[in-house]
Formats: sequence, structure tokens, C-alpha cells
Amino acid sequence: MFRNYIKIAWRNIWKNKLFSAINVISLAIGLSASFVIGLMVYYDFSFDTFHEDGDRIYRVVTDFETPQGNYKNGGVTPPMRIAAKEQLTGVEQSAYFYNWWISEAKAEANKQTFKDPEHIILAEASYFDIFQYNWIAGSKAMALQQPNSVVLTRKRAEAYFPNLPLAAVMGQSLVYDGTISATVSGIVEDYDKRTDFYFNEFISLETAKQTESSDEILGDEWENTNNASQLYIKIAQNSTPEQIKTQLAALSEAHVDSEMIKYNNKRIFNLQALSDLHFDHEYGAYDYSGYEADKGILISLVFVALFLLLLGSINFINLNTAQAASRAKEIGVRKTMGSSKRQLVLQFLGETFLLTLIAAFCSVVFCVLALKTFDSFMAEGIDLSLMVTPWFTALVVVLIVVITLLSGFYPGVVLSRFKPARVLKGSVSSSKEKGVLRQVLTVSQFAIAQVFVIATLLVGKQIYYMLHQDLGFNAEAVAYLQTPWDDFSIDKRLVLEQELKRIPEIQNVSLGGMPPASFNMATRMGIFKKDGQELIQELQILNGDTEYLKLYDIELLAGRPALNDTIEEYVINETGMRAFGFKDPEEIVGQYLELNSHQRLIVGVMQDFNQRSLKDKVMPLMLTGDTSRDRRTNFRTLHVKLTGASSGWQNTIAKVEQLYQEVYPGEEFRLSFVDESISRFYKQEQRIATLLNWATGLAVLISCLGLLGLVIHTTSRRTKEIGIRKVLGASILQINALLCTDFLKLVIVAYVIALPIAWWGLHQWLEDYAYKTEMSWWVFALSGLGMMLLAVLIMSFKTLKAAIANPVKALRTE
Amino acid sequence: MIKITDLEKYYATEEVRTIALNKLSFQVQEGEFVAVMGPSGCGKSTLLNILGLLDDPDGGSFIFNGIEVAGFNERKRADLRKHNIGFVFQSFNLIDELTVFENVELPLIYTGVKPAERKKRVDEVLEKMQIMHRRKHFPQQLSGGQQQRVAVARAVVNNPKLILADEPTGNLDSSNGNEVMDLLTELNEAGTTIIMVTHSEHDAKYSHRIIRMLDGQKVTENVLTEYKSKTLEV
Repeated sequence: MFRNYIKIAWRNIWKNKLFSAINVISLAIGLSASFVIGLMVYYDFSFDTFHEDGDRIYRVVTDFETPQGNYKNGGVTPPMRIAAKEQLTGVEQSAYFYNWWISEAKAEANKQTFKDPEHIILAEASYFDIFQYNWIAGSKAMALQQPNSVVLTRKRAEAYFPNLPLAAVMGQSLVYDGTISATVSGIVEDYDKRTDFYFNEFISLETAKQTESSDEILGDEWENTNNASQLYIKIAQNSTPEQIKTQLAALSEAHVDSEMIKYNNKRIFNLQALSDLHFDHEYGAYDYSGYEADKGILISLVFVALFLLLLGSINFINLNTAQAASRAKEIGVRKTMGSSKRQLVLQFLGETFLLTLIAAFCSVVFCVLALKTFDSFMAEGIDLSLMVTPWFTALVVVLIVVITLLSGFYPGVVLSRFKPARVLKGSVSSSKEKGVLRQVLTVSQFAIAQVFVIATLLVGKQIYYMLHQDLGFNAEAVAYLQTPWDDFSIDKRLVLEQELKRIPEIQNVSLGGMPPASFNMATRMGIFKKDGQELIQELQILNGDTEYLKLYDIELLAGRPALNDTIEEYVINETGMRAFGFKDPEEIVGQYLELNSHQRLIVGVMQDFNQRSLKDKVMPLMLTGDTSRDRRTNFRTLHVKLTGASSGWQNTIAKVEQLYQEVYPGEEFRLSFVDESISRFYKQEQRIATLLNWATGLAVLISCLGLLGLVIHTTSRRTKEIGIRKVLGASILQINALLCTDFLKLVIVAYVIALPIAWWGLHQWLEDYAYKTEMSWWVFALSGLGMMLLAVLIMSFKTLKAAIANPVKALRTE
Repeated sequence: MIKITDLEKYYATEEVRTIALNKLSFQVQEGEFVAVMGPSGCGKSTLLNILGLLDDPDGGSFIFNGIEVAGFNERKRADLRKHNIGFVFQSFNLIDELTVFENVELPLIYTGVKPAERKKRVDEVLEKMQIMHRRKHFPQQLSGGQQQRVAVARAVVNNPKLILADEPTGNLDSSNGNEVMDLLTELNEAGTTIIMVTHSEHDAKYSHRIIRMLDGQKVTENVLTEYKSKTLEV
């Protein structure tokens, strides 16, 4: 019986090639999207799921509540490491470690130096109690007990000591930053599963006492919180995270200091579950590759996949119920021969299954292509190898079954309901009710597609707006060159500045901190005393020489710039001026602000400009010179204004690089254009836009295919009517209008439904932006018109053909 | 074999209620060949649908093989139907997507016959209907007469006790029509009960008895050939 079903299913699919193709393409698009998105979701959700008792492992983190806003810090204050062991009950293990950045490591055996080695931590021995590694040499009990001992992962050991067998690496010496030595006391296997614990080098925490940052790592002061100081705990089996949180809250209360009270700041120690580590950007993890897992985006993606699957299924249901009449005789005969309803439903499900299976095969191929196309959109680890996991196979099987049921069940039930006595007499009138369902489905389909179209247009408009909005400074033709961070002196930078000024294609050069808008900005608390009252305000601090404002075209509204590059005088922006209660720029010039317990002079007021993406408002900011040049310079970036056409810049840059290499031989040349780095602020938005473009394109494609199918069906059913109308004198246009109107009505209803949904959703989305584009009426009108035009075009493709056909032929064939 | 008493069937639309069968009663003995005649709309096809368990009567009694089937649900009717009744239609009603062999095989599939046995029986019946050489063809590739022979083959492959034929020669020319009537007669002689709806007096003459209907009622009944030794109760 099953073979019989498959046979007839295959013949039906083959007979209705066009409808089958529409169904397969629609389903394949939905399935491909689901496969790719499934892989992305699986990838991100499979991080750090392999740790023993992972559900009991938590990171202790710190939340700050301040009048300026709330902040999260993934680190803890160093004394917490002791409190966790001595004061917290219900904690089975705790491990403190410090994320250590060094500039070089030297392997004594081969006298080889390694620049900027990453992923090194100074860790308590208990780190290896919480996180299990496979030990190749040494043991977790002994390895980190002594100061100046280090455990390496296999890869790191092989990198440091390429010529030694692993057994011989034990006992070898490493020297960090030329001063701190450590002996290899253990070697572990690198984690081979997905993890955010990238560390390759574990130095015993005691060693930290010999470093310059000893206080920062091991201090007893509760005031400082550094996100390099990490604390993990493993909660005892009989305890709960809530119990620990209560104790942490008590600890927060016990360690409130006067500064916090003064600035009305609150610090709360908190717990973060291991499973959350990969997703919370505010606390951060240890991956610096730039890819960010975002639960919000993943969830949106899942919805996109579901919508696309739904659209594909709708096509299937619509086309199959519409075609019911052509299957009626077969059903009648089968029922007469004794087929039960159940058998018929099973038969149709079998057909759907076969079609879905074909679609799934196509999808796996599409999936491979999509993984290549979306390479830049996805995390590095997402590749074809994920497709051979049991998880992926399970996803494919589950989706095939779900789609088969979703698409095949209803048409199966409708078809199997036919009364054989009637259909065999040839009287199949597809009842009105089924037509209504088809209309509802078509409307839903177009409503979804329409929402996507409106969203795409408006998100695109917002991105355009953000990229083209005047930020308040000139970002065009300005490049900035970052110099080596471990060189604390200004000397070489001054040399380089002088050299660069000699290049004729360079209009101006300024030494300073980062460009006016960047991700990196230092902040300080500023206190203004007036009439016995204190106004406290967080201020962003920007460093720049006397050319800085000129180079970036930032207008000075009152006062003057700093007298020279090193004097600690401040130019405040308008927002900062207003924050301290001044309205007239002239008034604040000459006033003093308290910064770090020193009175500092405000010498000028500059116009506002945006320091971040347009998601954020302009913040109070002050510009000052190189105020700590004697210890370490703040002027680490050279800002270069180029002249001439951008086509010639390549040569200029080559000259800059040559000079840079003369001053800093062998160092990395890091030059970026300011406008390009600004566009990186909107990476997230551009990802959303890419995603939306695809989702919209596919949703519109599926919906239009469905519409085409229905139009073809209706037109062929009405061939005789068209013939009669033409014989009676109807024009081609009249007939075209007749055929299109019914469908066009559905598209219009869909638009009316989509309008408020899209408006509301986009309104919510724009709420996140301090500067938003207008929700212009034309966006909505244009998307509606576009959709209708597209629908008419697609329909006319078929209806015009029917209208033009010779009526005599139509009447004869009927 | 069949006994219907006061059988009623209505078709209702929003405004009018049409009476298709109006308290119709008659019996058919096992092995009989009965022709039902009457003008269009007299209720012949409705009657055949009810006799074939494709439709439910709205009133009256229908005893099939000693069992009252008037109130049966669809599942029970389907079960009874597939084991006992074969159908021959005016428009053949072969499934276009299946070959001759597969069309004939269909009733055996639904009664759960094993594949080897199915092949044997289908081959036998195709041989008997002299259509064996066309077994791999699709219905569209056959002439009308050949298609009706396939339909008859399909009707008898399950060895039903009753064959219901609805205008079996309606779409055929006279020579093909006669061929089909000869086939039916042969089947009847072999013991199968046949009830045939027809417009054709010529075809009706092949039967033992003609029931004439008008407006859902029986008007006359002519016995053409005394059926074996059994007495007809009218």
C-alpha cells in the first residue's frame, strides 16, 4: 500500500510540474533558512555545555547603579576571592583568576621571544577543580601550588617549545616581560569543544606578587573593581544561587564606602550562570575576535525561519486545496473501492512527505551555499562540519515531519472529506468555506511579507540617516594612526608628527587620544561648587593637541583652546556646560572644576558633537592636552587630514607607512579612516539590515510564488468564462482586471493588517536610538504600492495570456 | 440479498427540498440481474448510491445480506463495501495516474490482499477480460471499450457478491456496449448479483427483471426471464 502511495504521489508531482516546483521552492527556502539558522543557534547554545556540574558553576560579577546609569562589570574586587572562601556558605569551590596582558614571553630553552601572547591567566589552583582538563603531564593537585609555576595547554606548549617532546617541556622556564620567570609544572589538553575559556597559560596566582599590578590583583581594598579579576564559584549541591545572592547582597552592604555614598553610587555583587556567559555582552567573556553572540538576534532569526516555513506551508496548503477538484475523481474512486478516510489522509501526507523530502534535499545544498554567502555574518566556528552532527540530522528529521504534518494534514482532511457519490457524478463545487480559508492564508502571507518590506525600508532609512547625519565634526578625509601601546614616551610620536607634516598631500596633523567619536573614552567625575552646593557630573575626557579642534572642524563657541599641548586646561562641550547649570558659553569660561581633588580651569567651550553612535545622546565631555606626559603619554594617536581626491590617498598612506616603519621598525601599521570607524558603530544595525534584506526577499518571493500558483489555477479554471466574456465583447484589460481584482483585494487587506503591526514594531525599535529618522508616510506608502505593483505584475503574467488567448479555442477545450 | 423498505432520500438546498426517493421498496435475490430504468432525475442514481453504500438514506430500511445497514457510519459502510460490492460507472472512473494493472489492483490493496496474491488475481482477471496486453498502459492510452473492460475487471477482481453498474454502456458505441453487456451477463451466470441503471431498453433486455421509476417511486416491474426456480415476491 505504501509503495502505491509513493508511486501515485510521484506521478502527481511529475504531472503538476509547475505547482510541484512552486511547492518545493517555497518549502526549500523555509527549510534552508531553518537549517542555517538552526546551525547558528546550535553553535551559540553549545558553548561550555560540557563542564562537569556546569549547572552549579557561576561567575561572581558586579553591578553598579549610578545617577548616570547602570553598568555591569564581569569582574570582582580582589578581596572577594577571600570572602568567597571564608564568608560564603553553600559554596563548594571558588577559583579566582586574573586575565593577564603582557607584551612578551620568552622560552629560555630556545631563547625565543613571543610578542603579545594572549589568553594568559594568573589563577588559583582551585581553577582546575572547577574546570576539568585532561592532564598530559603534572597533576591538578600539585601544579599551581608554588609561586612561579605555570601550566600550559598542549598547543601553547608546542608553540613555545616546538622542538621538545611534551614530556621534556615539564620543568622548562618561561620569562614574562623580561622579569617574571615561571617553571612549567603541568600540561593539559586544550578544550576540543566549544568554549569561552580560551586560556592557554595558567600561572600560579602567588606569582602575581612579583608583578607591577600586585595590588590590583591581590589587594585588600574593596573599592576597586577590574573586569580582569574573575571569580568563579561552584555551588554546593544542597545550596541554591538565591542563597548565595542573598549573602552577596549582604557583602555589598558591608562594603559600602564613603565615595559611593558621596556620588550616590551603589554596588551589588551578583551571580552569572555559566550558561549565560556566552551571551551577556555587558559582563563580557574572553573572546576578542569581534563576533558577538546575541540572544536577541538569534531569537529574531528563529522567528524569521518560522515565518519562512509558515509561508512555504501556506503555499502548499493553498495550492493543494485549490487543486482539490482535479483530485476529486481519484478520491471518489478510492473511496468506492473501500479506502477509509484515514488511508486517504495518510496517502496525502505521504505525498506531502515526498515533496518535503525533495525540498529538504535541495535545502541541504542551499544550506551549504548559504553558509558560504553568510560567512561574514556568522561566527567563525559555524561551518559545514556542524552539518554532520547528530543534532543537525535530528533537526532535519524533525522539520521534515513537522512540515509534512503542517502542510499536508489540512489538504488531506479536505480532500478525504469528498463524498464519492457526488464527485463521481462530477459535481465538485469547492465550497465557499474552503475559499475563505485560502483567502485568510493568502492575506496572512502577504501581511508577513509586507511587514518585512516596511521594516527593511525603515531600517535602511535609519542606517542611512545615522551614517549621513552631521556628527558635529568633520570625519571626511581624516585618518588616524595608532602607535604601539607599550611605548609610553611621546618622543618618537613627536618625531613621526614632524615627518608626516612634511608630506605635501597631508594638510594637517594632530597628536592626541582617539578621534572625537570612538568606542574608547575615559571618564572622570567633575565637581562644580556653587553657592555651597556641589554639582557632580561624569565627564568624558578627550586628549588632543592644539591642532585637534582645527583638524576635526570643531567650532570653539567661547574662550580659547589650551595654551599648549601639556598644560592641564579644559575645553568643555555645550552639553557639559549645561550640565553644570550654565546657559551662556561665555559664563563658564574662567570657572574651575574639581577633578581628582584638583581645581582645573575651563578655558573654552566647543560645539557639541556625537562621541558614540547615534544610539546615544551627546555626553558631557572635556578636551585637554597631554596631562600625564611625564609618566605615560595620552597622545598615542596621530590624526591626519588628507588633501586631494581619495584616489590619490593610497600613495599618501604608503608614504605614511614608510615613515612609520622608520620610526617604529617591525611594529604593526594600524591606520584607519575616521568615517569607516564610525560606520563600524553600526555593525549591529548593518547585520540586522543584511538579515532583513534576505528575509524580506525570500518572504516576498515565497508569497509571490504562491500568488502565481493560485492565479494560474484560477485562470485555468475560468478559461471557459474568459472565452464567453470575450465572445460577448470584453476587452483584454477588462478581463485582466476581472481576474486580478479578487487577488488584489487580498493584497490590500494584507497591507491594512500589516500597517499597524509594522508601525508599532518599528516604533519600538527606534526607541533605542537617541537620534532617529522620521517614520515617514512615504515609506509605508511606497512599500504598499511596491507590493501591489509586484502582485499585479505577477498576476498579469498569467492573466494577460489567458485574456489574449483565442476564445474559440478556450470554448472548444472546455 | 437486498431488501429495501420505504426508502427515502431528500436533497435540500436553502429554499427547496427535493425528494429523490419516496418510500421506495423492493427486493433483489442473490444471483439476479436487475435493470433499473426511468427518466433523468427519477432517483435511479441516488438509489444506486445507497445500494452501493456510498450514501445514507434519510428514512426507511435497507437490509443487505440480512443486516440492517441504513444507520451504518462511513467506516462500517466502507468495510462492507470493499468486501462485497463492485462498481461499474458510465464514465469508467479509472484513476488517470495509475496503470491498468494498478487500477485493477486497487480494491485488493484496500482489502489487504498480499502482493503476490494480488498479482496473480489481477493477471487472471485481465486475462479473462482480454486486456492483459494493455496492463502497463495508462487509461488515457486506451479506447473507451477497453477502459470499460478495465473498469469491469476492477469491479470483479475482488469477487464481489454484488455488482452495481451505472449506465455501463453510456459512453460506448454499440459494438463495445454489447461486449460489456456480454461480460456482465457472463458474470451474472457465474453467480454474481447485478443491479444496473440504464436508459437503454436494449441493455435492459439482458436482465431478468426491469424496475421502472418515476419521481423517486417504483411505477412498474416487468419480469423478463423467470429467475431460476426462486419465486419473486413483489
